[in-house]
Amino acid sequence: MQRRALLSGATAALATAPLARPHAQKTVTIRWWYHLDDPKATPDAFIAAFEKANPGIHVEAENIPWGGGGDYDNRLYTALIAGNGPDTAMVKFNNLARLMEMEALTPLDTWIDAWPGKGDISADLWRLHTAPDGKRYYMPLQYVVLYLYVRLDLLAKHNLAPPATFDEFLTCAKAMTGGEQWGFGMRGGSGGHDSWMPFAFGTGARPVKGGFVSPAALAQNRFFIDLLRTHKVCPPSAPTDSFLQIVNNMKAGRTAMTVHHISTANDMVTTFGDSITAVVVPRGPDKTGWATFGDGSNAVFSVGKNQEAAWRWVSWLSTAANNVLYNKAAGQMTVTTSGAANWTLHPKRFVDATVNSLPIAGVLPNLPQAADFTRVVWPQNTQKALLGEVTPDAMMQTFEKLFFG
Amino acid sequence: MEGPLPPTPSLKGRGSSGALLPLPLRAWTAKRTKVGGSGRCFPRTHATPWLMLTPALSAAAIIVLLPVLDTLWMSIHDVILYRPRVRPFIGLANYAWAVADPVFWESLWHSLVWVVAAVSLQFTLGFIAALLLNRSFAWRAVARALIVVPWALPSVIIGLIWTWMLDFNLGVLNEIGVRLGLLSASVPWLAQSSTAMAGVILAIVWQGFPFFAVTLLAGLQAIPGELYEAASIDGAGAFGKFRHITLPGLAGVMATALLLRMIWVANSLDLILVMTGGGPGTATQTLPLHAFLTAWSGGNYGHGAALSVLLTLLLLGVVVAYVWRNRA
Repeated sequence: MQRRALLSGATAALATAPLARPHAQKTVTIRWWYHLDDPKATPDAFIAAFEKANPGIHVEAENIPWGGGGDYDNRLYTALIAGNGPDTAMVKFNNLARLMEMEALTPLDTWIDAWPGKGDISADLWRLHTAPDGKRYYMPLQYVVLYLYVRLDLLAKHNLAPPATFDEFLTCAKAMTGGEQWGFGMRGGSGGHDSWMPFAFGTGARPVKGGFVSPAALAQNRFFIDLLRTHKVCPPSAPTDSFLQIVNNMKAGRTAMTVHHISTANDMVTTFGDSITAVVVPRGPDKTGWATFGDGSNAVFSVGKNQEAAWRWVSWLSTAANNVLYNKAAGQMTVTTSGAANWTLHPKRFVDATVNSLPIAGVLPNLPQAADFTRVVWPQNTQKALLGEVTPDAMMQTFEKLFFG
Repeated sequence: MEGPLPPTPSLKGRGSSGALLPLPLRAWTAKRTKVGGSGRCFPRTHATPWLMLTPALSAAAIIVLLPVLDTLWMSIHDVILYRPRVRPFIGLANYAWAVADPVFWESLWHSLVWVVAAVSLQFTLGFIAALLLNRSFAWRAVARALIVVPWALPSVIIGLIWTWMLDFNLGVLNEIGVRLGLLSASVPWLAQSSTAMAGVILAIVWQGFPFFAVTLLAGLQAIPGELYEAASIDGAGAFGKFRHITLPGLAGVMATALLLRMIWVANSLDLILVMTGGGPGTATQTLPLHAFLTAWSGGNYGHGAALSVLLTLLLLGVVVAYVWRNRA
């Protein structure tokens, strides 16, 4: 009898033991997919800081090969379809429409509106991070805005100032072209759409229905193609030049201007010191313009079982000092106003050029075709136009047809 | 020269149940052999090889047959990667789209140029290298080892090496050409339609000629030396020996190597993908690259699958020739 009572008591004690434990002590693991441009950079430092501040959450970070963006995106899509996707991942605007169509994203509006850090991110960034349906699925994490690198010492030889308009840009490019030096390092290869858009949409045209074939866009695109074909202010290799070529040509002194963003600023300064600067890309006569916005955001996926914990992680990453810590590893700009005010990672003139470009920053249409446009359709058709195999207008008609039928 | 054929090896003398077989199979084949009481070995000779092949065939079915069937299924459905819930049957619409697209015919033409130029140049260089390596000279063993290096390197590495060697701004080939006076100025080899295909063909020729060199060298070493001695005694010259002994002796190896290499080159896309991505424009876009970009970048797996099936059908002629040759 005593033995039976003892067993009963032990069983009851075991049964109630889990209830006695505080629920908060149970560690939740969230999977986060990321990619950092610098292969030596790791997220270990800021993950450790987060886990220290949030002892109930463990972040399992998975570094996913980028492969020009295509590898990363397709791995993400297939993982989500197969039911083995992460809870949260770094994402870009050009896959927003596809992820929305897959119903893979969790709207973040309720969380963002209640988040204390919301006011530390500029209205321009929130505007850019709003999806076509008016909801916010992406949490700002890092950003760049493309600007124009200019060699001041070369300009000074011709008594010219950094260009602010397209006419001034052409004057500068022509002046600095000669022999084995070209005025403008054009990027016609992979990723070149980013540095093409400031030209195509620089005088008021926009990438909306009818926008690619509007008179302003057609005229500007002809201007862009003519930089190589008529004015010959770009290296002959421009049709296939990509990131490495435009940066190396600039650093080798073979080109005097090129379009890129703040991630290469320190490299340029190491080579040229104060002889190089960055300015907002050229604009039309009425001061309209277009600076391509390069985003890096986090999304929380609807299939995830730990969405609340995932939100805590992504919002922590976008908060003031944490975001600065993250961007030291990413090499891009912090999305927080307070972080930018005390930014020391890049020289101030490059930060200023980036921040001053924000009011005219824009992105491609949030349509599923955007990814195919950037990887295949833009380079193929632009290269054909640069080589004279199709007209610049035919190139724009192809883009219009791709996006809007 | 002709004499009685050597006796065919058989399992006789190893016990009626086949001593080389595992025990369960031995028992099974022994049981089957007794059927009819006549000792006929019909079930044994036909079923045993299949049983032995079952593990390999099962693996092949899983990793080859299933993906092929899946590709066929996708090619008749509207499969968009980011629309996983909607995949309607559309019959042959993907095929109709493919053949109506001018890019398909352009890519097919590029594939033809790519295969014919690459394989013929690889073969020519490989044959010359094999003949040289078959002669006696100092450090021949080292030369034989070194020639395999391009074949052993990954395509991605080779693509990067040649991209930078052909680069307009920093490429060593332009530098040498200008310094030697062969070029008046640097040439953007991979950035102009007229030279881009030649650039990628140059890279794959460098990568692939060791395959022919090694294969043909093995074939050359299998030709009995007595034949050359006899021909010399009969007064044959170097060309005569090459024409009447070397070429016939290598014919079988050549045919097999050429067929295999044609299939591999026709299917390959990695080198072009790394060096030009199919550009400039579509100047170097071959059919497999077209299929890859359609599926991988465009997310349209239905279109990509149809293109892959069409490529497979086109290659089937070569595959049939290869299989027929091996049977012969």
